[in-house]
Amino acid sequence: MRQSWRTLRPLVAVLGTVALVATACSGATPSGGGQTAAVAETPVKGGRVIEGSFSDIQRLNLATSNDATSSKVSGKIYDSLIVADPKTGEFKPNLGQWKVSADGLNFDWTIDAKANWSDGKPITGNDFLARVKMQGRSKVTPNKSVFNDIEGYQDYSTGKATAISGIKVDATDPKKFSVKFTRIFCPALGNVFGSAPMPEHIYGKYTVDSDITKVVDDAPENNAPPVASGPFKFKEWRKGDQVILVRNDTYWKGAPLLDEYVLKVVADTTVQAAQLKTGELTLAQVNAADLATLQGSDNIKLYKFANNGYTYIGWRTNNANVPFLQDKRVRQALMYGINTDEIVKAVYFGEGSKMVAHHPPVSWAAAKDVNQYPYDKTKAEGLLKDAGYAKGADGIYAKDGKPIAITIVTNQGNKARETFLQVAVEQYKQIGVKITPKLEAFESLVPKLTGGSPEVEAVIIGWQLSAEPDPFTIWHSSNVASPTKAGNNFVGYSNPKVDALIEQGRNGPDCSQPARQKAYQEMNKILNDDVPYMFGVADGRIYAADSRIRSLDPGSFSPNMDWNIEKWWIKQ
Amino acid sequence: MEVSELRTYILRRVVYAIPTLLGISVIVFLITHLSPGDPVRLYTFGALNVTEEDIQALRAHYGLDQPLPIQYIDWLLKAVRGDFGSSLQYNRPALGLLLERTPNTLILAFAALALQLVIGVPLGVLAALKRGTWIDGVVRVIGVVGHAIPAFWIGLLLILAVSVSLRFLPSQGVLTVGKDVWDIGDRARHLIMPAFVLALAGIANYSRYLRTETLDVINQDYIRTAHSKGLRARTVMYVHALRNALIPMVTALGGLLAALVSGALVIEQVFTWPGVGQFTYAAARSKDYPVIMAGVMVASVLLVLSYLIRDIAYAMVDPRIKVP
Repeated sequence: MRQSWRTLRPLVAVLGTVALVATACSGATPSGGGQTAAVAETPVKGGRVIEGSFSDIQRLNLATSNDATSSKVSGKIYDSLIVADPKTGEFKPNLGQWKVSADGLNFDWTIDAKANWSDGKPITGNDFLARVKMQGRSKVTPNKSVFNDIEGYQDYSTGKATAISGIKVDATDPKKFSVKFTRIFCPALGNVFGSAPMPEHIYGKYTVDSDITKVVDDAPENNAPPVASGPFKFKEWRKGDQVILVRNDTYWKGAPLLDEYVLKVVADTTVQAAQLKTGELTLAQVNAADLATLQGSDNIKLYKFANNGYTYIGWRTNNANVPFLQDKRVRQALMYGINTDEIVKAVYFGEGSKMVAHHPPVSWAAAKDVNQYPYDKTKAEGLLKDAGYAKGADGIYAKDGKPIAITIVTNQGNKARETFLQVAVEQYKQIGVKITPKLEAFESLVPKLTGGSPEVEAVIIGWQLSAEPDPFTIWHSSNVASPTKAGNNFVGYSNPKVDALIEQGRNGPDCSQPARQKAYQEMNKILNDDVPYMFGVADGRIYAADSRIRSLDPGSFSPNMDWNIEKWWIKQ
Repeated sequence: MEVSELRTYILRRVVYAIPTLLGISVIVFLITHLSPGDPVRLYTFGALNVTEEDIQALRAHYGLDQPLPIQYIDWLLKAVRGDFGSSLQYNRPALGLLLERTPNTLILAFAALALQLVIGVPLGVLAALKRGTWIDGVVRVIGVVGHAIPAFWIGLLLILAVSVSLRFLPSQGVLTVGKDVWDIGDRARHLIMPAFVLALAGIANYSRYLRTETLDVINQDYIRTAHSKGLRARTVMYVHALRNALIPMVTALGGLLAALVSGALVIEQVFTWPGVGQFTYAAARSKDYPVIMAGVMVASVLLVLSYLIRDIAYAMVDPRIKVP
């Protein structure tokens, strides 16, 4: 949900169309070969991929960073114990294999015998322990609480203990280690073990067990990691311009084929699209709005996949300024009364699908057989009438002199959301609901959302979900945003049944996927009926790449599309 | 001017600069801290399992839980020692982050300054000498157009024309991927477009300014005297007329640095030029207080300095002017 700088976008878009059409014919054609497509291609070593990014990286220490760009680069330097299947989102062994104890509290891990750091040292349980320790003592990490359920973690974090009692590394075979939890915590697999081990022999010295003032936060290696467990090694960070990674020749899954991966900062999406055409970039995530300029360019191949995330209108159910939003019938009317297919067309240029509950269709947690809320203005108005509202002379439904008038806010500069808002204003007017659009800078909107400000009556914003489907922070009543307690439950939704189902999916006792799936599908059914959001659109994700890059294989649970980057190669 | 006189003058100006800088720091501190938005909530937005306690701990770590006056005094006491605090986003000293981007901004600003002088001055003189001709007309149109069209728009147009259509020059960043950091030729190619766009307004300014000044000067009595002495027209022009026409230009130079640095903010965005302006702008969007404050203070010091240099230069160019 981070912002990129896009104030100039509309202008570039218009100019871009004209200028790019003129050059379409002169686009570089893939060189070499003359071979027919039927012949299987043999991967070759060499070359580099240059990926465009709106923003620079901030820090390359996974224990302290929180921005998407840094994660995108760090994720290529560090491998995790587990990996989400790119197509299904199920967690599979990666650096390690695990066994869970019968009570669900103890995880025994064995790290792959071949897995070494790029300097030849073996990757062991001590490296995972080092990661947990440095994150626990860091004063700047926003992700301190990820490990809260590991036994002894909080005591270590606050300095009450000099060791984490719940993590034991086998003294004879440090490739084996165990992690004990204080309670059953189903998302542990994704959240805790999705946290990549960090090299103990590099970073270990910065965290001192007996001294909580000694932390990793200012380690120079945070900006230039010397060793890698992933397919690429850090080479150079040209501040504000480029980050250069080079092949890790000793990568445990086999050396990648590419020589280099370069992240290049280009602040505007439309300029990124233009640079793809000139070859200055060879990979970038692009907006649906820029598709028109890229299609028909024979040096570019497009990769589209369903997103594990969505853009929605959130209705405040706990705001006295908009009491009518507490009535389920009104919210259902707002679901029936908007033509989502039209939004997919107008806002996302057809690249997206309608959402009617929290988990997108690609997720195993998504509910089947739920109300699809087909566009039906008559039904919408019927629901408003059922709720006791009558159409006034101005065409707006009202009760006791109070009209259904809602201010919807979204973050300024996000073209898709701004257009979404315009369409909502038009369409809701047709069912007798008055919408006042409001644009606000992202930086001032976020604190109002997470602080439960009464200024927010409804909001258009989005969720990018992870492979671990736990919806606790978004839908559990304990995360209702308020001035005294920040929360991601901006809309103030509180439903004991949903709370119970979320807790079941989170704390089991049965953490198996079928058990959790049952709980989440049930939760999605309730949310589908309650519709605290107009669930909006799962906006498709689109990447554009130089057509010579081979083996790109998109999946909804690899949002950076890089899960198999070690297999990428460039056809000469 | 005596050396001792100059020294006293500079000293006095430096002392005067202190309340100015203090005033700027108070105002900017208040604006950044009182405008809506909370850096910690922005920074932790979307973090996994972040708790209210985590947020409070981060606030305390950055001193944001203190009353505003205490926060300011704390900032000031550290700032005078060169410690502007650490960036929330990069977790590195704010001043260091800015300083490592300063060369990029200075290169851009000085390249633009050079273009302004090299193009703007001759254009203005030429227009004055050829007053009423088509040359004059063209220069005057450039003067208006250079001012009226927003620089970022010209920038985007150039990117599309020169980089995308003609593929003549690179449009983004300072260095082509794969080139060595010391590849001066490649860096120069990246510099051309942003420097030119940044220089545009100045070229327009200078050509108009110089045209007026030159017209003024060539109608003065001493020029007529020089001509009647039998001096060559060229000598009269360059030795007598131009030198005097340039004096008021020095005044303009002082404000120039400020104009260039603030103009660079926009241009750096358009061309993703990794300079101070782009960086401070991004920091403002993320409410990264230490970087915003450091950025503004560095710019303010530069501005105060540039005015000081201007005044000294002024006194040197024109002996009639006594420093107060």
